[in-house]
Amino acid sequence: MSASDFQSVGTETWRQDGIAKVTGAEQYAPDISVDRMWFGRVLRSPHAHARIVEIDTSAAEALGAVCLTFADIPKVKYNERIVSTPPCLYRDRYVLADKPRHVGEAIAGIAAPTEALAEKALRAIRVEYEPLQTIITMDQAMRDGAAPIHDTIRLMDDDIPIEHNIAVARTIEVGDIDRGFAESDIVIERKFKTNRIYHAQMETKTVLCRPEVDGGLTVWASTQSIHNTRILLGEIYAIPLHKLNVKKAALGGSFGSSIQMNSVTPICVGLALKSGRPVKIVSTREEDMYDHVRYPSEITLKLGLKADGALIAGHMRADIDIGAHNIQAYPFLGCMGGFWASLYTLPNLKYEGRAVYTNKTPSCAMQGFGAPQTTFAVECLMDEIAADLGLDPVQYKLAHYVGLGGTFWGQGPASKCIIRSDGVPELLKVGSEKIGWKNRPKAGSGSGRYRRGIGMARGFHTSGVGHPKTSGAEMIDYSGAIVKVNEDGTVDLVQSLMDHGGGTNDAIAKIVAEEIGVPAQMVGISPVDTRTTLYDVSTHATRGVYAGGAAALKAARKVRQMLLDQAGRVLDVLPESLVIEPDHELGQGVIHCPNLADRRITVGALAKHMQINSLGTIAAAESLRQVNCPPAYVSYFLELEVDTHTGQIKTRRAVLGSDCGTVVNPKLAAGQLVGGLSKGHGYALIEDNHWDPETGELASKGFWVDGKTPSMSESPLLDDVETHFAHTFEPTGPFGAKGLGEAAGNPAVAAFANAVHNAIGVRFYEVPITPEKVLAALAAKQGPGAPARPEEPVADEPRLDPAPAGE
Amino acid sequence: MYMATNTHILVPEFDYRRPGSLSEVLALAAEHGDRARLIAGGTDLLVQMKMERDAPSLVISLAGIEELRGIASGDGLTIGAMTTIRDVAGSATVRRQYAALHEACQAFSTVQIMVMGTLGGNLCNASPAADTAPALLVLDARVDLVTGEGGRSVALGDFFTGPGRTVLAGGEVMQSVTLPEPGAGTGSAFLKISRVVADIAQVCAAVRLVRDGDTITDCRIALGSVAPTPLRIGRAEASLTGGNGGLEAFERAARIAAEEIRPISDVRATAAYRRHAAGVIVRDALTTAWRRAGEGGGK
Repeated sequence: MSASDFQSVGTETWRQDGIAKVTGAEQYAPDISVDRMWFGRVLRSPHAHARIVEIDTSAAEALGAVCLTFADIPKVKYNERIVSTPPCLYRDRYVLADKPRHVGEAIAGIAAPTEALAEKALRAIRVEYEPLQTIITMDQAMRDGAAPIHDTIRLMDDDIPIEHNIAVARTIEVGDIDRGFAESDIVIERKFKTNRIYHAQMETKTVLCRPEVDGGLTVWASTQSIHNTRILLGEIYAIPLHKLNVKKAALGGSFGSSIQMNSVTPICVGLALKSGRPVKIVSTREEDMYDHVRYPSEITLKLGLKADGALIAGHMRADIDIGAHNIQAYPFLGCMGGFWASLYTLPNLKYEGRAVYTNKTPSCAMQGFGAPQTTFAVECLMDEIAADLGLDPVQYKLAHYVGLGGTFWGQGPASKCIIRSDGVPELLKVGSEKIGWKNRPKAGSGSGRYRRGIGMARGFHTSGVGHPKTSGAEMIDYSGAIVKVNEDGTVDLVQSLMDHGGGTNDAIAKIVAEEIGVPAQMVGISPVDTRTTLYDVSTHATRGVYAGGAAALKAARKVRQMLLDQAGRVLDVLPESLVIEPDHELGQGVIHCPNLADRRITVGALAKHMQINSLGTIAAAESLRQVNCPPAYVSYFLELEVDTHTGQIKTRRAVLGSDCGTVVNPKLAAGQLVGGLSKGHGYALIEDNHWDPETGELASKGFWVDGKTPSMSESPLLDDVETHFAHTFEPTGPFGAKGLGEAAGNPAVAAFANAVHNAIGVRFYEVPITPEKVLAALAAKQGPGAPARPEEPVADEPRLDPAPAGE
Repeated sequence: MYMATNTHILVPEFDYRRPGSLSEVLALAAEHGDRARLIAGGTDLLVQMKMERDAPSLVISLAGIEELRGIASGDGLTIGAMTTIRDVAGSATVRRQYAALHEACQAFSTVQIMVMGTLGGNLCNASPAADTAPALLVLDARVDLVTGEGGRSVALGDFFTGPGRTVLAGGEVMQSVTLPEPGAGTGSAFLKISRVVADIAQVCAAVRLVRDGDTITDCRIALGSVAPTPLRIGRAEASLTGGNGGLEAFERAARIAAEEIRPISDVRATAAYRRHAAGVIVRDALTTAWRRAGEGGGK
């Protein structure tokens, strides 16, 4: 089967929210307002680590504000991301901080009739702090005698002590690495370091909470899971779930930063409950930059090989700086180990991961969840090994990667599957051809000011967290969907699964249309909330289409059968003799019997017939967990140009390939790849968060002007970015589809680093590769005593790139 | 202290007026003096007010004053202070005759900022990193300042007195920026290095050369983000004036420029990188301006 066999899947359609988005009519959480609404603000700690001696809110209350402090909140210690199962859920926080553990941590909430008054009242709150030792680096944190950031945390019903500020450690072993290294002809070890970058999603974290007269609540929030938000709020505030409704609002991007319930959400609920008013909190950009950040990593990777390059043994040690709270360090460490084990065949491997608390913004998931970090180390080291052995990196990687029939660790040791679809050979072949891999320069052989280099990397992400076991899982992973046929033959898809903006809901609507046999535009994506939908864990782990789509497919299959049964009665034929096919001219699905031309009815006519004869509504509600987690492979081939005078690096060409199985939304899928490149560009070359070691503040103070991500202006022209898709079919996916979103960025950092090496002959083991680092490396390469500024003749004219705007 | 400032909520209360004529603006400005601030595009002032670095009791909008907008050619060029960066960037005359200014406006942050921000606002904000300032400095721009009492013309080189500070007196309004007609054999260029394109300069440089055959008869070099104010580099200019153009001379001038500047290390770049990059872009801008000067047409 391939995309061409389908009527809806794989076709180009306008996304259903497209016009609303481009005209500004779409309602994101910050756009939503209700009657009698007050505005909330959050008082945040100026100290990275302190004890609160006293909070005095009287002056703020005198201004007419309602204040929420630690004394007001339920003393429920929770973990904001309830995707993990309870035995894996490390709970270390309250709605408001018992003691601030990072600059910007929430100390008090405040609500007032206007945002400006709330801000004024906020400043009238007096807090007496007793500063404690500020711990900024992992080394400081693990030192003997370092101040404990958390004394104990909760796990199930136990208080677990935290030693040396190590939040959690995980070890994974396969085979025997001592024997493996002993049998190796070559052993190579390198240290890698990745940066701590801000998600830079468009919409800052926002929440609106309205208390209802029945004692319940209605909540609109930036979230990747409306159901987990509801469950957690219900637990913290002891509100029965049938009185707690979380409504879906369009999500202005997230990149993983709202898998967890964001910190402002329960504060807003507390304010609404205390004031009896609807309260809305829109985080400022400065607050948002102090609220969430990508996991940075320090990785030591040691590989043992045979003389021919065959991998015998590997040892990876990874230290992860998680900041002030443990949002998902346990699964993160497991994922890093599992992704490593799934990149190349390694008969003997040992992985040791540690997650360390520091007094910084809590780290959380960001596009790739350990895969970009791991892939950077592995793909760069494989490139280096290939070069050392005189092998072509593409051929070397093809010879040793984990592919068809191999085991893929989709989410650490607990979610594995056998690989049943593998587009890697096609991706690397097509990518090599399109970029001109064979003609790439010898590394560092260029001369002159501008030096071009071509580099590649491959990688993947999981498609969901599916696995076959019925107990002992580390993660929750299922979706639900309601599919119902309306009285004119159109179909409502009622599903709580969130769309980050990549078109997940549109893809699933097409899957439903395909299964039922109606034209794609007949399936509408319903506005939903938690009361009217089945549970969905979260749009994370690149599970939207693969797992959420499969749940909707299950419901659609049932609806299709019900349509056939009803049509059989009306048409007086056996349902087995009928088919449903979209008629694009009619704009209807048509149910007909291929053997009897007169037995024919549209889905609309059938639905109308059922309505006026009171025969009921055709609908199905289904819930589903995938039992597999197939790899969605991605390949990057980049051509970069390094300006050896300024140290700046420009992307000249990119060839990005995806094996997402059947491509459901062709243009949106290509857009995911281009987006992955854009985020990867910032990750590899530009972005980092620097912290003042004394004050624990961001060097940028949270101001966006010094935190910007690359924009269209510095991206290669779209004509210079080629995307392509492998011709694969995932047998366990809906109509052969797997994931794509996170995979789209995972090899980016490694590809940039490998291309820079090809251009100037220098390997970078730390990202971002900034102009300063490029100049320093070039100076070091020229040897001691060489001038800091390259003194070679200026053969090339300075280049004036097309101006970014205007012309 | 942290979190006492943000760029989202405008806390202070103030009066707002939107006069329909320049004389009304001048009368209001004279009446309220230092307590009033003029707002053009608001891309700097509103941020400063949200961060409470500035708390005027009156904000006077210039949005209704048509006479402050537009670009007029004649003996040189007069650009109204309220002309947007986008309009300056889009002017064919500016592009043809004042390439450095065109390039500075093109390099000016995002489209959203370009359509709101104005040339006069960029100068009056007096940021050391203002993109248009080095370009206008090398183009020998003058600014016309008015009060109800009358006006004065000030060379742009005398306009900036420090970060955020200018010679503007209380009640004084910038009316326009004037540029002399470029002579034959003139070429100019502007270059900027920033963390990302839509960002404030780590360092920017503008140059103008007047070329007679192989000889440089006149020269201007100015840099931004390398000192408390946008800076002309007289010693580098002098090293070129009267001599022959060419890579060697431009390298020498660039080295002088890199030595003369006083960059600092901050969140945007280290002082060392700024100094190094300043040398590179001065040399590159000179190379480009020299070529343009040779192509004739005052470009």
